[in-house]
Amino acid sequence: MTPNDSDVALMVRVREGDTDAFRELVERHQRAVINTIHRAIGDAWEAEDLAQRVFLQVYRSAKRYQPTAKFTTWLFTITRNTILNEHRRRSRHAAESLEALQDPADPESAGWQAPDKTAPDPAQEVVERELKEKIMEAVRELPEAQRTAVILCRYEGLSYEEIAQVLGCSVSATKSLLHRARLTLKEKLRGYYQ
Amino acid sequence: MSCKAIRKQFDERLDGRLDGVQVATFDAHVVACADCRAEWQAYVGAWEVIEHQPGIEPSFGFVERTLRRLDEQPAVGRAWLWQPAVRWATFAAVVVALSVFGWVGGERMQERRRAELYAHVQQADYLEDFDVIANLDQIKGGNQL
Repeated sequence: MTPNDSDVALMVRVREGDTDAFRELVERHQRAVINTIHRAIGDAWEAEDLAQRVFLQVYRSAKRYQPTAKFTTWLFTITRNTILNEHRRRSRHAAESLEALQDPADPESAGWQAPDKTAPDPAQEVVERELKEKIMEAVRELPEAQRTAVILCRYEGLSYEEIAQVLGCSVSATKSLLHRARLTLKEKLRGYYQ
Repeated sequence: MSCKAIRKQFDERLDGRLDGVQVATFDAHVVACADCRAEWQAYVGAWEVIEHQPGIEPSFGFVERTLRRLDEQPAVGRAWLWQPAVRWATFAAVVVALSVFGWVGGERMQERRRAELYAHVQQADYLEDFDVIANLDQIKGGNQL
């Protein structure tokens, strides 16, 4: 049984109202959903809140779920729509966003990170933090479709075909999005990779 | 192969979508051409460096909190009731029903009024030799039939 088969089996149980199956789905995919949102919006607490909304949407839509595509493709489609809604909400109520309260000079405020127990030397830590920030910023500043394509390709390992399904476009359009995103990242991150 | 053609293959090479022969051609060109080599290294470098962004772990109790929020949601079987389209359709149906009831009620009331006035006029003996049509407004006191 592939992971997708078992996801589909779980969704069938969720459709019957089985909350244990729903719990298992959340446990299985929480990290991917939270990180996808975090990489897109840059705020860890809001990412968790939105991830919860994604899973609630999965539960609410269980009756309409058709196992024609991979479960994760469907899940990331819901995730993308939730992020888009959040961006629209933010653009309407800019002041409500927690991001607006962040101090751009303080990298800590840009996103919650699990404490690093290994504690490298402080100078190295500053360089690492700056690099992380620069990368997050470069990814977040990409146009929405390019950013989603990069996140799904680079971090979630989705194929071109799966990304095309999530974005609702053709495979060649997806390739083009990834190509343009890579060119932009190459320019923006110049000096960080050589 | 031209530099332009090689650069068009950057993505396929990066994502492992070229076959063995294509990879060999690509790599041979990149080794021989300094410009393409520099471009390719930058392309790969940027793609590799973004992996440098480690993911975050869900905070403690994330699953439990999600399940708690589930309790605030309608059951799966009734979830469709909460869809915006269903809510709008229900609202529109109520507005239409109220308009229809209001119109039908108004028509009936006017019809009853007309019938009462007609009966009243029929019973008025003093109107026998009276030109009813010409003097209708006087009889009704300004009301319209």
